[in-house]
Amino acid sequence: MLYICLAVGAIVCAIQAIRVSRLVASALWLAGASALVSITFYMMGAQQVAVIELSVGAGLVTVLFVFAIGIAGEDALDARSLLPRPLALGLVILSSLLLGWLTLPVIDIGVPHPELPFASVLWQQRGLDVLVQVVLIFAGILGVLGLLAEAETPEEARAVEREPAEVTLPERDDELAMPEPTPERIHA
Amino acid sequence: MAAWFILLTVGLPWLGGLSVWWVGDKRPGAQNTLAVGFSVVAGLVALALLPFTSDAVVLRLPVGGVFGEFTFVSDGPGVFLAIIATVIGSLAVIFSVDYMRGEAQLGRYYALVLLFIGAMAGLVLTASLLLLFFFWEITAFCSYALIAFDNDDPKAVSGGIKALIVTSLGGIGLLAGALAIHAHLGSYQIGVFLAEAHRLPPTTLNLIAFGFILAAAAKSAQVPFHTWLPDAMEAPTPVSALIHAATMVNAGVYLLARFYPAFESVPGWKMAVVAVGLLSALLAALMALVSNDLKRVLAYSTISQLGYMVYAIGVGAVFASQFHLLSHSVFKALLFLGAGAVLHAVGTRDMREMGGLGRQMPFVRAVFVIGALALAGLPPLNGFWSKELVLEAGQANGPEWAYLGMLTGAGITALYTFRAVWMVFYAEPRGDRHAHDAPAAMRVSLGVLSLGTLSTWLLAGPFGHLLAASLPLHTLHVLPTFEVTAEVITAPATIVAMAVIALGLLLWLWRDWLAWLSNLLRGPARAATGDFGFEWLNRRVISLTQGTATVLQITQTGQLNWNVLGIVGALLIILAIMAWGA
Amino acid sequence: MMLSPLNVTLIAMLGLLAVGLYGLLVARNLIKIVIALQILVKAATLALVAASSASGQINLGQSLAATVIVADTVVAVVGMALAVQVRRRFGTLDVKALSTLRG
Repeated sequence: MLYICLAVGAIVCAIQAIRVSRLVASALWLAGASALVSITFYMMGAQQVAVIELSVGAGLVTVLFVFAIGIAGEDALDARSLLPRPLALGLVILSSLLLGWLTLPVIDIGVPHPELPFASVLWQQRGLDVLVQVVLIFAGILGVLGLLAEAETPEEARAVEREPAEVTLPERDDELAMPEPTPERIHA
Repeated sequence: MAAWFILLTVGLPWLGGLSVWWVGDKRPGAQNTLAVGFSVVAGLVALALLPFTSDAVVLRLPVGGVFGEFTFVSDGPGVFLAIIATVIGSLAVIFSVDYMRGEAQLGRYYALVLLFIGAMAGLVLTASLLLLFFFWEITAFCSYALIAFDNDDPKAVSGGIKALIVTSLGGIGLLAGALAIHAHLGSYQIGVFLAEAHRLPPTTLNLIAFGFILAAAAKSAQVPFHTWLPDAMEAPTPVSALIHAATMVNAGVYLLARFYPAFESVPGWKMAVVAVGLLSALLAALMALVSNDLKRVLAYSTISQLGYMVYAIGVGAVFASQFHLLSHSVFKALLFLGAGAVLHAVGTRDMREMGGLGRQMPFVRAVFVIGALALAGLPPLNGFWSKELVLEAGQANGPEWAYLGMLTGAGITALYTFRAVWMVFYAEPRGDRHAHDAPAAMRVSLGVLSLGTLSTWLLAGPFGHLLAASLPLHTLHVLPTFEVTAEVITAPATIVAMAVIALGLLLWLWRDWLAWLSNLLRGPARAATGDFGFEWLNRRVISLTQGTATVLQITQTGQLNWNVLGIVGALLIILAIMAWGA
Repeated sequence: MMLSPLNVTLIAMLGLLAVGLYGLLVARNLIKIVIALQILVKAATLALVAASSASGQINLGQSLAATVIVADTVVAVVGMALAVQVRRRFGTLDVKALSTLRG
C-alpha cells in the first residue's frame, strides 16, 4: 500500500516538474520526486543509496538548480513545443507499455545472497567504478571551470559584457520546423 | 616479453602522435625530434620482436563477451610487415624533416603519420578479426586525412574523399566476412577460423572468400578499385611513400596471404585472385607507360607490382608473394622518396618539364636508378630475385595465359621505368629549373633504402624460415638463401624474363626508329590515359554517394527535440522487435 | 499479476521513464531538459535497485546505483554551467533559437 502511494506520488511530482512553467517550481517538484524515490529505496532495503539519493538528488541538485536559475534568469518566451504533443505522448506511452509488457511481472526471489557489506562491495568489488567516478568528477570540475572561466583576452571580455540582444524567433514556428535557408543572426 | 614489444610497437607511434600534437606548432624543431625519435624507437622495438616469432597468441585483452578477446600474435607475416611499417615509416618521417620544412600545421601531419604507423602495426599483429577491421578503418581514415592534408586544394580533398569511399566500401566486405565467421563459429579469432574453415557451409565460405577479395582489392588498389591510388598522389610525397608504397596497400596482400589456407579450396577463388592480379599488373603498366606525371607513374607501378603479389597468392606461392612484398616495399619507398627529392627541388611533377637533372642532382640520380633497376627486375637487386620467384611459381602452377600476361607486364615495367628515368635525369633539359641536390635528412633515408634495395634479397632464406615456422596451416616452399638464388638463376623462366626485360630496354633505346609503332598504338594509348573507363565509373559511384548524403541532410535539422524523437523512435522499434520475438 | 512491492516499483520506474522521455521531447528550455534528464536517471536507479532486490544482491545494486547517481549529478552540474554561459553569451535558453545559431 505504501509502495503504491510512493509510486503515484513520484510520478505526479515528475509530471508537475515537466508541466510547470516557472523553473524554480520545476526544480522543487523534482526535489519532491527525488525524496519519494529515496524513500522507496529505503523500503526496498537499499538504505545507503537511499541516503545518497536524498542528500544528492533532493539536496545538492535542487540547490544547484535554484542557484543556476537565479543566475541565468527565467525566459518568458517558451510556450509551444516543437513536436506535436499528442505524438510525443503517444510514442512515450507506447514505449513504456511495451517495456512493461516485456519485463513484468517480476518474480521476487527475496532470499538475500550471502553478501559482503556495502562498503566492501563498493570499494573492493566495484573499485573500478569508484575510480571512474573520481575521474568523472574531476572531468566535471575541469569542464565547469573551463565554462565559467574569465575571459582571457580583452575581445572576449567585451564579447561577454555586451548586452544580450533580443531574440527574434521566426513567425512560422509550427511543428517540426526545419532551419530556414537564411538563419537569424544572434549577436552575442 | 613479446607482449610488451607488441604493445610498444603499436603504442609508441600513437604516444608519439599525441606528444607531437601536444607540443604545438610553435616549436617545429621539437616536433621533428619527437616524431623521428618515436618512430625510430618503434622500428627498433619491432625489430626486437624477431626472436620471439611463434604462432602462439602472446597478448590477450579481455574486453567482454560480445567482442571476444582482443588478441595479438607475433608470427612471421605480422612481424615482418610490422617491421616494414615501422622502419620504412621512420625513414619517411626522417625524410619529412626536410621535405616539410616551413610547412604549416606540422603537428597535424606528424600526428596523423604516427597514428597511421601504429595502426598498421596493429593491423598486422592482431589475431582478432574485429580488431583487424578496427585497425583497417583507422588506416583508411589516416590515409584520407593525409591525402587531403593540403585542405585548401580541392584536388587534394577530392582525392582524399575518393580514397576514403573506395577503401571503406572494401572494408564492408571485410566486416561482412568477420560477422559471418562469428555467426557460424562463435569466435573472431583468426586462428580458430583458419583451423575450422572447412566446417562452414559452402555458400557462406564462398561469400566470405569473395568479400575478402573485395576488401583486399579495394585496399591494395587492384582493378577495378584502383582509381583512388593515382589521385592520392596529391599527398605530400613522404606520405605517398609511406602509405601507398610501404604500408597501407600491403594490407590487402597481407589479408589474402593470411587467409589463404581457408580459401584455397573455394572453387573459383584462386582463379579470381589470379585474374585480379593479372588485370591490375597489365592495365596499370600500360597506364604508367602513357603518363607524364612522375608520381602517377610510380602510383601505377605500385598497382602493377601489387598485381604481381596478388597473382602469386592466386597460384599458391605465398612465400614468393611475401618476398616480393618485402622487396617492393623497400625499392618503392626508395623511388617515392627519390621522386620527392626531385619534386622538392624542381617544383613540378610533370616529367616533360624536367630533364637533365642527373647532372644537378647526382646523389638522387644514383639512388633513383638503383630503385628503378630493382623495379624493372635486373640482377642483383632485390626486385630481380623476388619477381623471378613469382614468375617461376606462375609458370609452374598457374594457367599459361596468365603467365604470358605477367611476362608481358614485366617487359612493359622495364619500358616505363627506363622512360621515366630517362625523362627525368638524362634527357636534354627542357625547362630552366635550378635543382639543388637532396639535403641531409633526405639523404639519410634515401641512402638507407638504397642499401636495403641492394641487400634484402640476401634475407630470402631466413625470411622463408621465419614464415614457415610460424604459419602452421600454410604450405610454403622455402629454402635457404643460396638455394633460392641458385634456383632462380637456373630456372628457364628467368632467362625468358631477362629477354623480355632486355626487349623493353631496347624498345626504349630504339624509340625513334619505332615511332611508327607508337602511332599505331595511339588508340590504346588514349584509352590508357582515360584509365580504361574505370575513372568514369568511379566518378559515378562517388557522385551517387555524395548525392545520397546531400538528400539525407534533411534529417539533420539540428533541433534537439527532433533528435530525441529519433532516439525514442529507435527505442520503440527495438522494443517492438523484442516483444515480437518473445 | 500480483501487486507486490517489486512490481509496483517497476511500474513507478516505467512511469518516470515515460515522464522523462516526454519532457525531453517536448521541453524548449535548456534547464527543463536537464530536469527531464534527472527524472530519467531516477527511473534508471529505481530499476537497478528493484532488480537487485529481486535477485537478492542488494549491495551490488546499491553500488551501481551510487555510481549512476554520481555520474548524473556531474551531468547536471556541467549542464547548469553550460546553461549559465549560454544565457550570458546568446541571451536565450530556447533550444530552437540556439539550434539556428551561426558562429
